[in-house]
Amino acid sequence: MEIFEVLSPAGSEIIKRKSIAPRLDNFDGKTVGEVWNGVYKGNDSFPALREQLKQRYPGLKVIPYTEFPFRYGGDTLTQQKEFARHIAALAKEKGCDALISGNGA
Amino acid sequence: MEAEKLGIPSVVIATTGFVTAAQLAAKSSGIENLRVAEYPGAIAIHAPGRIAENIATVLLDRVIQGLTQSTPASMADAPGSGKDRGKIVFAGTLEEVNRFFADQEWTDGLPVIPPTLEKTERFLEYTLRAADDELAVLAPGNLRATLPNVAANAIMAGCEPRHMPLLIAAIEALSEESYNLNNMGSTSGLLPYLLVNGPIIKQLGIECGGQLISKGPNPALGRAIGLIVRNIAGYRPGKNYMGTFGYPLIFALAENEGQTPWQPFHVEHGFDASSSTVTLGVTNNWGHAPAPSSAPDKNGAQITLEVLCRELSKRVRLYNLPGHGENAERAMITLLLSPPVANSLAGSGYSKQAVKEYLYENARMPRRDFEWARRYTGGTRVASSEEHRDINAGGHTQKPDDLIRLLSSPEIVHVIVCGDPNRNRVMVFEGGHARPATKEIKFPPNWDELAAT
Repeated sequence: MEIFEVLSPAGSEIIKRKSIAPRLDNFDGKTVGEVWNGVYKGNDSFPALREQLKQRYPGLKVIPYTEFPFRYGGDTLTQQKEFARHIAALAKEKGCDALISGNGA
Repeated sequence: MEAEKLGIPSVVIATTGFVTAAQLAAKSSGIENLRVAEYPGAIAIHAPGRIAENIATVLLDRVIQGLTQSTPASMADAPGSGKDRGKIVFAGTLEEVNRFFADQEWTDGLPVIPPTLEKTERFLEYTLRAADDELAVLAPGNLRATLPNVAANAIMAGCEPRHMPLLIAAIEALSEESYNLNNMGSTSGLLPYLLVNGPIIKQLGIECGGQLISKGPNPALGRAIGLIVRNIAGYRPGKNYMGTFGYPLIFALAENEGQTPWQPFHVEHGFDASSSTVTLGVTNNWGHAPAPSSAPDKNGAQITLEVLCRELSKRVRLYNLPGHGENAERAMITLLLSPPVANSLAGSGYSKQAVKEYLYENARMPRRDFEWARRYTGGTRVASSEEHRDINAGGHTQKPDDLIRLLSSPEIVHVIVCGDPNRNRVMVFEGGHARPATKEIKFPPNWDELAAT
């Protein structure tokens, strides 16, 4: 029976990865920003999540998604990255200790 | 992900089935172990009360864990990771090779031809490029395409060595920023397609006539692109390639340049008629092929234009224009016209550009129908105040029966003359997020000799 020695058809990786940022110790006095991508009922889900978070952590400040820009559409990869960098810089400027983004579907 | 890079801990909310897609996107962007909080179910069909309940009982804790705990239970492997590229990775019988490749998710579910080193080297003889050249980096996986891995996919698909120059140009087109391969994992099921123009059509016997996608080398060429999208771009069905009902095999078209009354596609886009090109387009659909005829009160050209307008009004991706104005996602319309239809239009004085402009002016739908579709079928819609601002800013009228424009520009319409030369049929593709990308095919100096083998 013939034996085939074969190559991989998979592309090779070029990306070097970083670990995620350190997590929060607690929510006391912290500020969390909401970032909505404009789709999949974030206008329903973010207010509900905000209410629940504030109930559980009364000292938490939440900056609603309406304070951040969102854009809908098939942007190119470069445009998407630029926009994401803009949002991240804005979150820093607004004093966010953490971000919640959504909704992916 | 950019926030993580700035040191701001983040959590991404994704619905069930899309957690892996979010993790793979993060990995490809250089972030390891992105925290994703899973919302249970398909949120777009949930009522506000159910959304609130799911948040209180499930999502809230997951969001809190995502912001306070750094180690997720499990993570998705990036498609290109952990393997030794360009070297022998497995040895076995035909069945064992197929089983191994299926286990690696390297196949499309059909049997493949084993990409041996010997076969691969033969494929490399048909190109101008050096074996270790980086041909492109393909999104979303951000993985490197090289001659050996392109050849391996081509072999697996059943291609011949002389198809390599065409496939290399296709890789270059896939990597074009404007083609936006990065955004093709949509649940709507966006499918790339291939269009070939120029002398290579005859040289390689690529079919441009009746039943073209099912004849000649067309199926193997399309399949090779499908395998490249999987193995080099890194799209895996159910992980980050999320078409709700899956994907047909990618298909390959070629223009019938001998029977079109107009400039062929590549000449229209600035290439010399004597050059050969490959274009990557995208569509959500293959399907109904209406047959415009002539009638006592309207000629064939007029009926064709009206048929095309009616077809366009069914293409829901176009509803984004009145919905979002300039912020609309990109739509891409492709018209397949059989030669008799194209010649009927040309015989009535329509240039290709005139056809596009007719459709731009006349492809419209009643505002009432648009409002219904946007309100009840738009799982991806933005807040209504934004929609209405854009509709009104775009100069659309207000009454329910008023007709609103669907095309953002005549230039999003692309015309390809192909198919049965004896039949009067058309097909209308809608695709999104992309503009077509066309690349000239570069041949080695001894191409004529190679192509004949």
